[in-house]
Amino acid sequence: MEYLYGIIIIVGLYVILATSFNLIIGYGGLVSIAHPVFFALGAYTSAILSRDFSVPVLLAMLAGMLVAVVASIALALPSLRVSGDYLMIASIGFQLGILEVIKNLRFTGGPGGLTNIPPFLIRDFGRESYVLLVLAVMLGVIALVWWISRGDYGRAMSAMRDDELAFSSIGRDAIWMKIAIFALGSGLAGFAGALYAHYFRYIAPEQFEILQSSAILTMVVVGGMRTTWGPAIGALLLQALPQAITFLNLPPSVLGPIQGLLFTGLVLVFMFVRPQGLVPARDIWRAAPRSNAENR
Amino acid sequence: MQDTTIILQILWTSLATSTYYVLFAVAFALVLKVTRLFNFAQAGVMTIAFYTAFVLVQWLEWPAWAAFIVMMVVTLAASYALERIGFEALRRRGVSVMFVFVFTFMVSEFVAYVAMLIFGTWPQTIFPTIFWPVTLVGEIALSGWDLPAMGTTIAALAAFFAFMRFTRTGQFMVGVADNPGLAELYGIDKRQIFLVTMLIAGAFVGLGMFLYGTRAQVLPQTALSLMLFAIVATIIGGIGNVAGAAVAAVILGIVQNASILVIPSEWQGFLLYIFLFFAIVFFPNGLKLPRRRTRFGTATRNTPPAGDASPEAQA
Amino acid sequence: MAGVLEVKNLSKSFDGIVVARHVDLTLQSGRVLGLIGPNGAGKTSLFNLICGVVKPDGGTVSLEGAPLDGRKFHQRVRSGLSRTWQHTRLFPSLPVIDNLLVGTTDYPGERLVNVLFGRARLRAHDTVARDKAQGFLGKMGLSGVADDLVSDLPYGQQKLVGVARALMGDAKCLLLDEPMAGVEGQAYAAMQRVVREIAESGVAVCVVEHNIAFVRDLCDEGVFMFSGAIMARGSVAELIRDPQLTELYFGH
Repeated sequence: MEYLYGIIIIVGLYVILATSFNLIIGYGGLVSIAHPVFFALGAYTSAILSRDFSVPVLLAMLAGMLVAVVASIALALPSLRVSGDYLMIASIGFQLGILEVIKNLRFTGGPGGLTNIPPFLIRDFGRESYVLLVLAVMLGVIALVWWISRGDYGRAMSAMRDDELAFSSIGRDAIWMKIAIFALGSGLAGFAGALYAHYFRYIAPEQFEILQSSAILTMVVVGGMRTTWGPAIGALLLQALPQAITFLNLPPSVLGPIQGLLFTGLVLVFMFVRPQGLVPARDIWRAAPRSNAENR
Repeated sequence: MQDTTIILQILWTSLATSTYYVLFAVAFALVLKVTRLFNFAQAGVMTIAFYTAFVLVQWLEWPAWAAFIVMMVVTLAASYALERIGFEALRRRGVSVMFVFVFTFMVSEFVAYVAMLIFGTWPQTIFPTIFWPVTLVGEIALSGWDLPAMGTTIAALAAFFAFMRFTRTGQFMVGVADNPGLAELYGIDKRQIFLVTMLIAGAFVGLGMFLYGTRAQVLPQTALSLMLFAIVATIIGGIGNVAGAAVAAVILGIVQNASILVIPSEWQGFLLYIFLFFAIVFFPNGLKLPRRRTRFGTATRNTPPAGDASPEAQA
Repeated sequence: MAGVLEVKNLSKSFDGIVVARHVDLTLQSGRVLGLIGPNGAGKTSLFNLICGVVKPDGGTVSLEGAPLDGRKFHQRVRSGLSRTWQHTRLFPSLPVIDNLLVGTTDYPGERLVNVLFGRARLRAHDTVARDKAQGFLGKMGLSGVADDLVSDLPYGQQKLVGVARALMGDAKCLLLDEPMAGVEGQAYAAMQRVVREIAESGVAVCVVEHNIAFVRDLCDEGVFMFSGAIMARGSVAELIRDPQLTELYFGH
């Protein structure tokens, strides 16, 4: 049963990661491979604050999210001032660089990682409560992205993606919008990281490497960019795959690369055969039904 | 006395080790200049180059020169495939920058995972040892690796710059780089030029990895970090400026090596990311180096915008 | 008399090519200025310089007395400057009406606070914006296509939509870049009418155009540009009659 809960939570967290990444790459049109690093920042911040500084877990989790947001702005602001291409390059450096830092610092536990992370909810309410928490957050994130993409903000994002110069000509600042989207997506990833840390209670740099970038990117590309459910479906499928492989009892040294091959291979195949993904996006922005406006 | 020796030693070692960095930087910068593509798949080609040489030398026990030749052939073949099967298809479809990025990045990752599967995740080198005989000149230690490495690199760069300057193909490459539309009107076959560019880059990459792999250890993901170095050098050197990228690579190599004097060794790797950050924030257009005019009209970066200007055209 | 938009001594060259040569220009409220000249004269470049899309080498631009120098394009738009594009630059993934709605200068619907707690305010804003947008569409004869995609519209209508979008922000100064290029028939007449009405409402308008008839019928005065410099100013009729200018124009 515990094993099942672990899987559900992992899938739920990946849905959050894929959905929040979809916000960045699908709706924001920003290319970045640094998503796992914000997942890591949230996890590490929350873990260290609650374990070594006795900060209550819930606060530590929020702090984790905040650190992810601040870090994402630090990355995006100078890069986007130049261009989107530079964010792309800078994100590679950021992903590799921050992990280097984590591996070399003592208070992050170095390459060995952090253990004994304080639990949350489980002692008082059982594992089921944590599962419900993760699922609730997951649904919340999906709802948030759905709402953002349908409303006035979604319309503005569509316009920005269509033509940035024209976007400026209607008085809108594309750079700030991109930074806001990037910060929101990264913050959500950070919160997911905190949720991860306090359930599994052990985090290490190798869990946040570029393999995760490929995995998340695959989930979004294969699932369907710019759709509400595409990334979720992608996350589900792509979590099912590694689980299926574990039953083959392969040694871990082979398991990792095979997962990597699956993810990257799938993206490449899908990009050429079905670039719209499993759930195709309607590339025309349409408002959510104006039921609220009509009521009253 | 002691200090001068240390400085000279660092300088010498930096120059020697900057050889492969220069080759990687020139390859990346050249492809970017001519095809206007950020070729993140270069890391994949680098990985292929290294492991080919590794297999030939360590598993099949071939002599170094034979392994080198075959490695070059394989690397060129990989570059050929990348251009003809990969990039041409992308160009035909008119895909977005994001698509190209994801594609090239995934190609590199794919190759890395194949390497991980076949070769495992422990460090490898092309020769069984990376220890070379050391000669002392005064008090400076020269590794037996240094001079051959520098010699071949300089020869390769000289050949390349001569090629660009004096051959028709070289001049066509510059033409396509500056103004692809105009070049086509002049009857230049862009497809051929793109292919030649990729092959030259492949050659540099092959040589560079052979040098690196005979001096340092390589993991399946190493090429990604090496490529990042190349990218930083390309940005600092100025996009479109291949010579600038080469110079920047040397300077970065020296600074990175010299940093051992001030920071602990485990942080040296991190220095690169600081460089990247500074490069992007302070030198997005590179350090200003004079641009020469070409046969096909004015140089690229400051061409007047078309009717509707795009923000990227403005400095 | 101080104008709505003042351009003083504006200069710019790219790699030795001079696109603006000490340009002085004033746009008055309620008047339409025609900017004519052969291709490559620097007309669109001037628009780019005024908008801040391109940074000038020298000179200043001010809107209602306040200097715009150093401010980015979107900031200038928020101060009351607006422009249309030679090639429309509409948003293909939005229907016509949404192309206009996204052009307003305040967007309470994008603030979480309003969405959660200010629904009444949102509805009010939305109604005002929609009325305004429908108003423009009505004047242009486009009420029927409000929910269509812009790509489904004929080119002339697309250009009209572009002008409407530029007006959603209550601009004080409007720059129209070749509004008539590729436009004919009903859309042509509608465009003339629309530009007249815009000027009459007090907006300072400047039009770059090759269609001399349009310029002659619509513009209160004209300016002839050649090689980045203003060669002549006066009424459009005078400029057209000048043989030297005609030679410059058609000699190209």
